Amino acid sequence: MTNDLMLLLPLIIVGAGAILLMLSSAYEKLTNEIAAYGSAVIFALAFLVQLSACITDEAALFSGAFNGILVVSNFSKAASLIILACGLFTALSSQTYFRQNNFCTPEYYSLTVFAATGMLLLTMAHELISVFIALEIMSLAIYILVGYDRKNVISTEAVLKYLMLGAFAGAFFTMGSALIYGATASTKFATIGKYIVAHGFLQTPALIGGAFFILVAFLFKAAAFPFHAWVIDVYDGASVPVTGYMATGLKTAIFAVFANFLILDETLQSGWINYLFYISVFTMFVGNLIAIGQQSLKRMLAASGIVHTGYLLIALVAVSTKDFTGGVIAFYLAAYAAGTLGIFCALSYLGGTGEKRQTFDDFKGLAKARPYSAAAISIFLLSMAGIPPTAGFMGKFYVITSAINAGQVVLAVLGIISSVISMWYYLRLIINMYFYEAEEEFNEPAPSSLAPICTFILVICVFAISLYPVAI
Amino acid sequence: MFEHVLSVIIFLPILAGLLLLVTPASKTIARFTGLVISLATLVLSVDLYAGFSATGHLEFVEYIPWVQSLGVAYHLGVDGISLFILMAGSVLLPMVYFVFSTKEKGYYANLLIVQGAMAGAVCAADMILFYIFWEIMLLPVFFMLGLYGGPKKLPATLKITLYTIAGSLLMLAAIVYLGVSYHAQFNEWTFAMDKMAQLNLSGRVAVFAFFGFMIAFAIKIPLFPFHTWLPDAYTEAPTAATFVLSAIMAKIGVYGVIRFVVPVFDEQFARFAILLAYSGVIGMMYCGIAAIAQKDFKRMLAFSSASHMGIIALGVFCMNMQALTGSIYQIVAHATSTGVLFLFAGILEDRTQTRTIEDLGGIASKAPVFALYFAIAMLASVGLPGTSGFIGEFMIILGAIKFNTAVGVLAGTTLIIGVCYMLWMFQKVFFQNTTPTSENFKDLTLVEGLTFLPVIILIIVMGIYPQPFLSKITPSTALHFAQNESVVAHQAVTTHALLPELTIEQK
Repeated sequence: MTNDLMLLLPLIIVGAGAILLMLSSAYEKLTNEIAAYGSAVIFALAFLVQLSACITDEAALFSGAFNGILVVSNFSKAASLIILACGLFTALSSQTYFRQNNFCTPEYYSLTVFAATGMLLLTMAHELISVFIALEIMSLAIYILVGYDRKNVISTEAVLKYLMLGAFAGAFFTMGSALIYGATASTKFATIGKYIVAHGFLQTPALIGGAFFILVAFLFKAAAFPFHAWVIDVYDGASVPVTGYMATGLKTAIFAVFANFLILDETLQSGWINYLFYISVFTMFVGNLIAIGQQSLKRMLAASGIVHTGYLLIALVAVSTKDFTGGVIAFYLAAYAAGTLGIFCALSYLGGTGEKRQTFDDFKGLAKARPYSAAAISIFLLSMAGIPPTAGFMGKFYVITSAINAGQVVLAVLGIISSVISMWYYLRLIINMYFYEAEEEFNEPAPSSLAPICTFILVICVFAISLYPVAI
Repeated sequence: MFEHVLSVIIFLPILAGLLLLVTPASKTIARFTGLVISLATLVLSVDLYAGFSATGHLEFVEYIPWVQSLGVAYHLGVDGISLFILMAGSVLLPMVYFVFSTKEKGYYANLLIVQGAMAGAVCAADMILFYIFWEIMLLPVFFMLGLYGGPKKLPATLKITLYTIAGSLLMLAAIVYLGVSYHAQFNEWTFAMDKMAQLNLSGRVAVFAFFGFMIAFAIKIPLFPFHTWLPDAYTEAPTAATFVLSAIMAKIGVYGVIRFVVPVFDEQFARFAILLAYSGVIGMMYCGIAAIAQKDFKRMLAFSSASHMGIIALGVFCMNMQALTGSIYQIVAHATSTGVLFLFAGILEDRTQTRTIEDLGGIASKAPVFALYFAIAMLASVGLPGTSGFIGEFMIILGAIKFNTAVGVLAGTTLIIGVCYMLWMFQKVFFQNTTPTSENFKDLTLVEGLTFLPVIILIIVMGIYPQPFLSKITPSTALHFAQNESVVAHQAVTTHALLPELTIEQK
């Protein structure tokens, strides 16, 4: 019992912390700064608890307490660790970001914690209704965060787009759940899996339809082709820390639940594998095409997020249902999160007031004025591009190995071609930062030292993750 | 001397370079640090060379498991093939710090990092480790070219970077394919290079993997038709970067072919060897003819270097021991001669502020020592008997004729082109009447003269008495072909007979 409680403790801490923060935001004494530190403490605490749970290496099915709707596995623990770390760095870099931008209220931080609650729940949920609830807890918080800058038109446009389309995705998900429930008389993953084993997947039309709808919902949230179009505008409209959070934490949670759902049963997975194959290829190449054309850094990063979704889909295509550990996916997510969060951390203090530095050209000559920050950004970009010895390389190496091992040689080669193309826009920023003279002076002091510290911690993470590949 | 000497040779320069980058050290300190570190590396390498016992197998092995679930390991070692490329790097790089006036801190830091990474790529005995160093090698070149290059540096930087990365990512897929095949055939995960030779590869995917490796190395060498990045990059890069690229990095491409492609893809290699050999010969001719037409001496040297890389690559593709031994010998010879020529070109450019051949003349009368050194390096580069270039080229052509008479004859005659442009350039620049730009040309200072002296002596010693060097190479190359007995059986039989024959040839 106490063991089970230990495994759930991160979720409880985050959930209770979110409510506590929200309630205390009503008091005027709770300034933005204190709220930021408060949320950081909550994330850090939950992270440490989760880490101690990881060391003991226990899994629990909670069949007694929750009737098997929550499952804690090594994969979910790893995903939760990534999410909590993302939350921590987001909270800290937000503090710096809001020294320069003044649309913050303490509720902002409670919303980030709420979103993390939903994400943690998603990684553990093994039942359709709880997946839906978790998805909505997460999404609602994110919707608000995206539109937090109410006076900014772009931000409002972003939240409107995201809300409308996200609601559609949610509706698809419920529709899919209903169909599956109709076919199998259960919403629990385990029972659905047993039903498919007994009756076959393709023999039940309602099941196919239901699984299709659910797939659509997941693909939408994960920003995969052909449901990727919202990403660019939404990432662009959201404020820098929120974009970073969405790109990393949210994606981690979605891929965790996606993998859990897909490995329900072998026939279900093999039924979708062909489609996922094409989806991942298109996701990579469409993402690349979009990214090449961008002038704004944030939009480029959004598009590169699509490309990385494509790589993760390769890993999903290659997972085997029999001995699923999720190691490859978790490792790639961790590597990707470290790189992406790092860039957004750096942007949150380099962007200037009102995010005035946005385009590639705005960062020309950064290396002369801010050599350390430019070096950090370059390392993150190289990690995202998959150049050794960074974490991104090891992540890509595992993904390719698992793909070739699963017989998907073509997919692996296409993934590699896609990363050659992606070199172009990652290098472009490095070239802009290093090989041009500065057009403006980057002489304003960093508004607070938290975001720079986070950035440099993440640089260390990028190397550490690649040198100690414990997750595999 | 001590156990982890290879790790020290690799990581001492890298760590020193990184340290220079993060600390606000001044230019002079940076230069001094670079000099001390590279000399320390030289001492260690010489010690390594002395301790190398030429068994043909890997020596000075270090093995630490890294990613155990996939069998990736931190696995280092040198044999007769890698030793010479490692030595070439260690011997040549300290010169750079002596010769030119003090440059930016980042210049020296990048130089140190690239030195360490190249040593790492050569010593790595694990494919993943090799790949990691192979990629790290590119980054300092990218920054040196982009930050300190000539006026048209940006397109050149992009070209070389995208070209090489495209090639190396394909190689990554091929490496992973090898690892997975090994797992499928022997039910064990490993990426160790020496184990890959046991693989039995056939089918279309194997051919793709073969080309995955081949293209990556062909771009680095560069082999015709993947050479288009070379003239721009070599011309625009600062002298030290050109020197590194031509003297050592290109050789690592050849080394890769010897290490990966020949033992692992024996079947595919035997099938495509004639194609590759012709591509080497065409590269020789094409770049040689292109070199004749150049007006810029740095660009001319770039083409000349590419042309000579063609013959080194040809030696590898001929699939017999003489040619392979010749290739490795020629790798060192080419590194010393062409590398030094690029440094001389840098000096010329530094002192006259021009790179046009037409603008120069009569330097021999102003700077006799410089002219003498230049002449020796140049003659070694064209393969005059008595210099190091002759031995290697002779052995390669001998092997080429054994392999395919047409290829051998073409390669032999093409060497004349090299003599043609080199002598013509030498005559223009060093003899004839002095021009205004070369009128005040200063001879080499004492420090510079002493710096180049060991290399110039090495060129001559290697040309006259090659036996000590060859004796370290041959066990490894012999072993190399012993492994492939099944496919090239008729050559393996001759392998043993070749050993005495080789010694006769040098006489």
